[in-house]
Parts: sequence; structure tokens; C-alpha cells
Amino acid sequence: MLLQISEPGQSTIKEACKPRVVGIDLGTTNSLVAHVEDAAPVVLGEDPMVPSVVYYDGDGVQVGRAAQGHAVSSPRETLSSVKRLIGRGLKDVASVRSMIPYELVGDDRAIRIKVGSKEVSPVEVSAEILKELKSRAEKQLGGPIEGAVITVPAYFDDAQRQATRDAGRLAGLEVMRLMAEPTAAAVAYGLDRGSKGTYAVFDLGGGTFDISILKLVDGVFEVKATGGDSALGGDDLDRAIAAKLFGSSSDPQAIAQAIVTARALKEALTAVPVATVEGATLNRDDLRALAQPLLDKTGKACRRVLKDAELEKTDLDGVILVGGSTRSPVVRDYVRELFGKEPLCDLDPDQVVALGAAVQADVLAGGEQKVVLLDVVPLSLGVEMMGGVVEKLIHRNTTIPCGATETFTTYADNQTGFDIHVLQGERETADACRSLARFQLKGIPPMIAGMARIEITYLVDADGLLKVNAKELTTGNEAHVEVKPSYGLTDEEVERMLMESFEYAEEDLAKRNLATERVEAERILSATRQAFATDTELLTADVRAAGETAMDALAKAMAGDDHLAIRHAVEALDLATKPFAQARMNRAVEAGFLGKTVEEVEAAAAHGDAHKHEAHATGGPR
Amino acid sequence: MERASSSNSDAFGLLGLPAQFDLESSAIEQAFFDRSKELHPDRFASAPAAERVAALSKSRALNDAYQILKKPVARAEYLLAQAGIKIGENERIADTAFLMRVLELREELAEARVAKETALIERLCNDMKARRKDVVESLSALFDRKDLGAIKDQLIVLRYLDRYLEECDAALDDED
Repeated sequence: MLLQISEPGQSTIKEACKPRVVGIDLGTTNSLVAHVEDAAPVVLGEDPMVPSVVYYDGDGVQVGRAAQGHAVSSPRETLSSVKRLIGRGLKDVASVRSMIPYELVGDDRAIRIKVGSKEVSPVEVSAEILKELKSRAEKQLGGPIEGAVITVPAYFDDAQRQATRDAGRLAGLEVMRLMAEPTAAAVAYGLDRGSKGTYAVFDLGGGTFDISILKLVDGVFEVKATGGDSALGGDDLDRAIAAKLFGSSSDPQAIAQAIVTARALKEALTAVPVATVEGATLNRDDLRALAQPLLDKTGKACRRVLKDAELEKTDLDGVILVGGSTRSPVVRDYVRELFGKEPLCDLDPDQVVALGAAVQADVLAGGEQKVVLLDVVPLSLGVEMMGGVVEKLIHRNTTIPCGATETFTTYADNQTGFDIHVLQGERETADACRSLARFQLKGIPPMIAGMARIEITYLVDADGLLKVNAKELTTGNEAHVEVKPSYGLTDEEVERMLMESFEYAEEDLAKRNLATERVEAERILSATRQAFATDTELLTADVRAAGETAMDALAKAMAGDDHLAIRHAVEALDLATKPFAQARMNRAVEAGFLGKTVEEVEAAAAHGDAHKHEAHATGGPR
Repeated sequence: MERASSSNSDAFGLLGLPAQFDLESSAIEQAFFDRSKELHPDRFASAPAAERVAALSKSRALNDAYQILKKPVARAEYLLAQAGIKIGENERIADTAFLMRVLELREELAEARVAKETALIERLCNDMKARRKDVVESLSALFDRKDLGAIKDQLIVLRYLDRYLEECDAALDDED
């Protein structure tokens, strides 16, 4: 009833003196977990690189090196590089499908992988990797992990970020923050080397490429611009090498073997100019030629990001190399030539992301904050308009958290429903952008075309996750979505998996529920108090008394730890204040029909909301 | 395109800057960094829920304000809007000579694009960037004279120039 914006993803970290928190680099090829010890981040484990491979052997799973051993003998049960599939649909991965030895099913909304008689989602597979990292960290740190910062490629879109967050939840981790990988690397570099100035972070991993430009000054690291390709990495080079040496094949075992050999050759060429593995030979010039198309793509992204940042390459103080693929001399030569300077690689490019994430986890858990990180939205967020064009509400490279509100109108007389199609991408047309969600605002009173005022608000939080609100201003009808269902898992699916997961203790769930209900209750309480104060004239003595009683009851329930009691008290408050809410709505509607000015109607309908609205009468979204 | 950002009721005030067009970009950035150090959500990660929510929305308002003020053209449009002058989506100017010139330049660009004459595209692009820079610089004097009508005209001119520059980018992307 009361229109206020609630914030998603309230963190529920306990306020203990020093929580046990970690930073996790969930990579395409390898994953790492790190932790801050005595003010410095360190990676955990004797062999800190855990191959991002999961082997399903019927009853259980194996993760990491143990799983890798099954790649050639059981290619259909040994899942690697699933990061390329997370938050994506089948049509998004058509180009790499032929070189994936396991079986992809699902649809254009979400991919599944067929393993034996069952199907698993990339979210579940990623959760297995995260569980392995979590248990390692718990063993080494001697107790449960209370929170984690998980890194994602800067160029991951909303669906991919949501899916990664879901994987964290599924692994029983409290995800304190999703952090962009190049930003994490910059944190590790900046703090370790005391670097100041403007740097490019060139991050080429197994399956993703990011290029970010950051300004590092005292106390603030600001991302100026970011770009990349979330489906481009060393994996593609492995596939190109395999295809050149062994041709294409439909036999999964042959594909798996070819890729293992190709990768071994590529890695060997880091140290020597000619390498031979399993009878196959490759030299560095061959590698360079095979890598060229991939490198050209990275070059194009680099030029665009410099332009977005309004900088020339001579303005850069340095280029930082991140990601295992930047170990290759072929890649280093290319970067040196592209930027005209010797790239920095003095921190281990495989570890630097996890180290930066650990620093951020420590900060979020109450540790000393040496820098504030200002990250950005990688891809513009928009809404579909009549005719399939996209109106951008938030432009790429806007600092997060951020928000935008625009007002749209109906295009047909007596239109009572309003479809809202949420999109992400830079292209002008809806079909060329990533579809994030569709929802409908219903119950618009019949009016002539162009009369209704539908206000759409996009809010992006510090994780880069989007939430959308829409309301019709003359009636106060509201619809809102937390963008997510289109490509990843639905909330219900995640909940069901959580319930099934025995690692996820019941009491944790209770705590989470309690925190969620408390936040919601807090929001309602403050909104109600504010409305009582601003619209006193609409408040009868009865309703005021009933409302006050219900508010007291809610405050009491919030002090306890029964989340259902809180929810019931919220419902009771809703009920008690219903006549008041109705009166406010009526006033808004009447004002509209009595020919008052639009501004007055808005002021009433928006419940004293401080926003100023502007007409945007170009025919609303379909 | 008209936009009401979520909380831009006083972008200058949020950044602690005087409400004027002439501002050094380094001063805007410094003000933004200083305020960010106080308001960023990370600083409130272990604060009570209500405070976290408040910090998030303040930080959002600050970022939105920075987005408006850091670019001179957006800053000028914002100042004009505060003075009650809005520029509509398809607003045109009466200067036919200017319109003709833009039309010619667009044709020239389109031809260069079809012929894949990268050097010519780059020259057209650089010429337009120089021209845009001149127009942006001219705004300063107009703001000094408080000539709102002239400012509005120049901002409409800039929309034409920006649209042209977008086409330049698209043409250069073909080449890439």
C-alpha cells in the first residue's frame, strides 16, 4: 500500500567481533579462495588453484583435480568451463557448443546439462565448486565461513550476476558482495604497490575477457569505464588449437582428449618456442596466428573502453595483467604493442583477483577500509518502447549504486495493462539486447491514449543487480520486479534447491528469514509513520488509534526472533491502515478527474515522494 | 529525451558545489570522491538495516548527481531545467543554414561509409569533435550573460552534433 522502495539483498552478516570471511575467485578454468590475515590477503590451500571442474559419478560429486582426472575417460560426466554457461540460454552458447564434450539441454531461457539420468543447472555445478572452496577455507580457518565476496567478470550482465549470486546461496554462503574481477585485481595491486594514477586492467581468463580503466587516488578507486566480452578467453584458443590439429569430431572422448592436448601445448609454449605433446607439435608462431582473431577482439574492446573513458592510451600510467591467459608471451606481446608500454605482471595473475576479493570481504565485515571502490554498470539498462526500440534509462559506465526514473504513457485509448520489457545492452532494438524480464502493470483506469502516467524506476545496487518498479501515478497501482527470472533460476527453484541441500542448516534459513522480515517491517513502519505525519487530514481518530496499536505490536514483534510473528504483525498493520490508504488513493484519483494539474495529482499519488516527474509522452512501451 | 533522475533535486548541493556552469572537472571529481568516502554503502555494511538502506539511497543520489554534473552538456541542460526551460525530444531550431549543413555532412559521411573510406570518416569525425568542443566552450559566455534562449539553441545544436558523432562511431565500428 505505501509506496516505498525496498532494497534487495540485505546482508545478514552477524555483528561478531571478527567474522570469518573470504574472497572467492570463481573462475572459468580455476577457482581460488583467499582470506585476510594480519592485514594482508593470502590465498588458502597448499595448492590454491582448484580446477573449476565437477565430476558426477552417480551418487556423489568430485571437484577440482580429482574431477579433472576423469575428463578424458568420462567426458559426459566431467563438467568444466560451466562459467561460460551460467545465466545463459542455449542460443547464447551456440558458437561453442560443438566443442563442449558434455550434453547441453534446456532452452533459450536457461541451460541444463544432462549428466547420466539427471539434469543439472550451471548454477548447481558452480555451487559444487563453491562448496569445495568453502570447506577448504573452513578447514584451514578452523570454523564456519560467515560471509564471502565472490568475483564476477566486470562485463557479466544482470542475469549472469544473479545466477552467480544464486550459486553462492546454494553453496550455503552468505554472499556479501559480487565484485568485478578487474576491480578486485586493482585493489590488490593498488594496496600492495601503493599505485596511484590511471590504470588499465587487462583481464583475460579461461572464458571471459574484461578491460577496465580505473583511477586510483588516495582513498578512492574509481572505475572510469569497463568493457569486454563475457564469452572470450583462453578456452577459445584451446578449441582453435584442437580444431587445427585434430579437426572436428562428434566423439566426446576425442573432443575431450584434443582439448587436453591443446591446452598442454599452449601452456608449454609459454616457456619454449616449440612444444610437442602426445605426438602433436606446435610452435609459437602457429599459436600467434591462431590467437590473432581472439586478440583482435580484445583490441577492439580496449579501444572502445578508452573512448568511453575519454582517454588516450598515453594518459595511462600502466597496464595491469590479470588472468591465466596473460601468462602467454603471445598475449603479452600483443598488449605491449596495443598500449605502447610494458604491462605490469609482478603479482601472480592467477591469484590477484582472489586477493582483492578477500580485502573487500574484510572491509565489509568491519575491517579497516583503506579505499572506497566506485564500480560501474557494464551495459546500459533500458525498456522496450513502441516499435521495438530501446529507451535507455541507465547508461553503461554509470557509477553504482544508481537509479533512474522516467514517466511513460499509454498508446491506445482505454488501455488497462502496460507491458514492461526490461533489457540490457547497447543496441537500439529490443531483439538485439539481452531480455532480462517482462512484467505487466495492470489495473490502469480507462483513459484516452497519452493520459495515463506510468512511472518506471530502475535501481541498481552495489552488486550491480537491478530492481525495477513501475507505478501508475493516477491510481498508485504498483508492480515491481527484482529482475531475474528470464535466464537463471527462478526464486522458487533456488529455494527448493536450498531446502534439498543438506549442507544448508535449518537454523541458517530461520536467521535469513528473520533478517528479511525485519528489513521489510522496518520499511513499512517508517513509511507508515511518514504517511501519518504528512496526510493527517485523511486520518480518522479510529484509524489512527488502530494504526498506532498495530505499529506498537509490530515493533514488539521485531524485537523477538519469530519471523512469522513479524510477518503477521505487518499484515495486521496493513489491514488497520487500509481505510487510510484507500482515502489517499481516492484523493489521488479524484484529483485526476476533477481536472487538477498533473503536478498536484502526482504529488498526491506519489505519497509525498520527493521525486519530480517529467512527462515523456512519446507513446509508452508496448 | 527527458529524464527525471531518481533524486536529482539538487545535484550541486549534493556535491557541495556552487550551482553554476563554470566548474573545473577536477573540482567536480574531487567533490565526488570526498562525498563518496562518507556515503558509500561499503562503509555501512555492518550498520543496522535502516541505516544501510538510507546510505544506499544517499549514495545512489550522489552518483546520479555526479553523472549529471561531470559532463558539461548534461550540466548545462540541468541548469536550464532548473530555470524552468526544458528541451523536448524532437525540438528543432529555425536556423535552416545550419540544418542544411548538417544534412550535407551526414550525406558525406554515409557515402564515405559505403565506400569504406576510413581516412575520410576519421576526418569528418575529428572535424565534428572540434566543432562540438567550440560550441561547448561557447556556453560559458552565454551563461555569464544569462542568455537562456541562446543556451537552449546551442544545446539543441549539440544534440544534432552528438547524433552525428554517434553515426561516426558506428561507421568506424564497421571498419574495426
